Amino acid sequence: MVDTFHYLMAGFAAAATPTNLTFAFIGCFLGTLIGVLPGIGPAAGTAILIPLTFQLDATGAIIMLAAIYYGAMYGGTITSVLINVPGEAASVITCLDGHAMAKKGRAGAALGIAAIGSFIGGVIATVLLVVVATPLSRLALSFGPPEFFALMIVGLVLVTSLAGNSLIAGILMTVTGLLISLIGLDPVRGAPRFTFGLPELFDGLGFIPVVMGLFGVGEILATAEKPYREVIKTNLRGLIPSRDEWHRSMGAIWRGTGLGFFLGLIPGVGAIIPTFMSYILEKRLSKHPETFGTGAIEGVAGPETANNSYANGSMVPLLTLGIPSSPTIAVLMGAFIINGLTPGPLLFQERPDLVWAVIASFFIGNVLLLILNLPLVGLWAKILEIPYQYICAGTLLFCIIGAYSINQSIFDLWVMLGCGIIGYLLRKLNFPLAPLVLGLILGPQIEKSMRTSLEMSAGDFSIFVTRPLSASLLALAIVILAFAAMQYAPKEIRDPNAD
Amino acid sequence: MRLLRLAMAVTAVALVATHVSVPASAQQYPTRPINMIVSFPAGGSTDIGARVVAGLAEKILGQPIVVVNRGGAGGQVGWTELARAKPDGYTIGFLNLPATNTTILDPERQAIFNEGSFTPIANQVLDPGVIWVAANSPYKTLKDLLDAAKAKPGTIRAATTGILSDDHLAILMVEEVNPGVNFRIVHLLGGAAQMKETLGGNIDVSFDNVGGIVPQVKSGQVRALAVMDTERSKFLPDVPTTKELGMPTVISSSTRGIGGPKGMDPAVVKKLQDVFSQAMKDPDHVKRLEDAGLAIKIMVGDEYVKYYNETHEKAKKYTEWAKNRPQK
Repeated sequence: MVDTFHYLMAGFAAAATPTNLTFAFIGCFLGTLIGVLPGIGPAAGTAILIPLTFQLDATGAIIMLAAIYYGAMYGGTITSVLINVPGEAASVITCLDGHAMAKKGRAGAALGIAAIGSFIGGVIATVLLVVVATPLSRLALSFGPPEFFALMIVGLVLVTSLAGNSLIAGILMTVTGLLISLIGLDPVRGAPRFTFGLPELFDGLGFIPVVMGLFGVGEILATAEKPYREVIKTNLRGLIPSRDEWHRSMGAIWRGTGLGFFLGLIPGVGAIIPTFMSYILEKRLSKHPETFGTGAIEGVAGPETANNSYANGSMVPLLTLGIPSSPTIAVLMGAFIINGLTPGPLLFQERPDLVWAVIASFFIGNVLLLILNLPLVGLWAKILEIPYQYICAGTLLFCIIGAYSINQSIFDLWVMLGCGIIGYLLRKLNFPLAPLVLGLILGPQIEKSMRTSLEMSAGDFSIFVTRPLSASLLALAIVILAFAAMQYAPKEIRDPNAD
Repeated sequence: MRLLRLAMAVTAVALVATHVSVPASAQQYPTRPINMIVSFPAGGSTDIGARVVAGLAEKILGQPIVVVNRGGAGGQVGWTELARAKPDGYTIGFLNLPATNTTILDPERQAIFNEGSFTPIANQVLDPGVIWVAANSPYKTLKDLLDAAKAKPGTIRAATTGILSDDHLAILMVEEVNPGVNFRIVHLLGGAAQMKETLGGNIDVSFDNVGGIVPQVKSGQVRALAVMDTERSKFLPDVPTTKELGMPTVISSSTRGIGGPKGMDPAVVKKLQDVFSQAMKDPDHVKRLEDAGLAIKIMVGDEYVKYYNETHEKAKKYTEWAKNRPQK
């Protein structure tokens, strides 16, 4: 422990040199930008910048690339809150309450709490990384395909049962999402499914065009049908979270931190699942679950904290085992390797100077992000004072550029516009969008982990119930579903004390 | 950055439009930026190798080489685009043998390109296959593993990095020359998943390529049992080859090379061959790829064409077998 502290201090000394500070700042800035632009994700953003790092020394290069990664986690929030367009997959859930808050003139508070939550989540996850990284990462490895499958089922059941006001509507939306996720090549055998011979569909419907359509374009259509919308006035007091909002957010921030970090230890979870889990957890624990979706600050604070905590937590499998847990981390691992470094247990022994400088830079980077973002909150919130017809046009343009630039494909544009109409109709019919999005994301993961599990057991389904962790998770899913189904039970069963 | 690229593309199109009256001949080639399709997402080992070589080659060529990631469908999306591109030398891309071949050979994949759809230009990397286990595995040698697989057929869980990948074919090659050996094949999505499940004890043995495991071998987390090549790998000098172990037909590798659509002007092909082989011999290229555990094997002209055709024939045999193997 004393050694750790010693190394960390040396790391701070190395990371705080003017050069490395500059790299951390550039990384945070670029990351925020990448987060704001919907077409380009953190994985592509870091990959494109790798050749630039050849000229730098390894420490500076990695500090910069890592800063892009967690910077992007924050940047995605801004567009989610302001115009209901998630800049990054990990910010989808923030649209629900973040944008609702913006409509009430609380955009500043939403962005502020997201910045603060991200900061707390990022810093604490880094502390946990320093203290408990190695033993926990070993434990996370025992989380095999059957356990992964069971965890995904729990996530699916949670969102289905709690996202909307009606369980039936939630199930319908989840199943729709799962069905859409089947489009494309079979993940194991490679055979095309539901592609109608269109090569554009071989990879399935693009996630970003679908989400930007459902949320962004759908929102524009829903607003456009109203004859007149008042300009949102945000006064200075609206920029900072009120005392009550603080109070409600703190619990969400702590829980989001823990959730994000622990899910970050399991390779393959991805940044979006911690955000959904955190949202659902907050809604479950809230005394006023009905306020969720109408601008509940916990629904912003929790998920935004969770995604930053996840970003730092997911560094653990990389640094301790050399296993990348997400595409962005894989790019980062590529940057390590190409600079002659080997991520894994030996890195701590061979290059403690570099590892600890990078870890120290996570702390510094989180502070930089806070400094970079808090003063900008007021500026961002001002955007909403622009008359809505201009915002509308701007948002649409932004969505079109974003959807097109992913693959330079016109097909993706049609997908986005089609989803925009569907999103508008679902909104009118009061169907929740979150379960649909989660079904879309979890579908391939569930299918893959289920089929891998069955390959491991030579087709025997008992593998899901004979492994203790997997069995407990599946039991949990059943309990959650049973509780949710209670709303359809006769009143006497639901509440025996009622008269 | 994508926007920048978009802007560049728009500018390029505008430039081309203004010069459309002057047909560019092979002598002038290239007069505008070249797109290099990588059929895998950014950050994978094909992508890293591509970005290193593109950065060096564009200096020699005098025109930018833009790496375009067209990941998805195990490479099929990118290869489809490469096969459909105009053979004018301004769209080239990476061919990953034998993955490109098995995509063609597996009827389920419904590939719209075939073995004649591409012009092989220059090979960059030849990464031999390797059989490896977790450091705490009871199998100390390949013989231990094969004895166990023979004693309890169909129970030893062996991971590939995907169906009909070179690793999948390699498992079949091992079974072919060791009668009675039968693995329970588990198809995982790529090397990271394989590393996670093998270290976590959910998989007994993994088949991958040397470049994917050198870091973990160095750190002592995994043990390589055999390299599927005729010579020892310089990255794993202590690991015996399958040839040494008496299995000379178990030779497997994954190669990455540059190709274009069919029907390219031979003069353009020649120019690209010269440029890329010069870039690949650059000390910077050599060092960066070796640091990443990737063995450089430059093959151009007839040598690469011959290798391409031989790989295709070999892949054909094992793909058919994979389709007919009772337990898949």
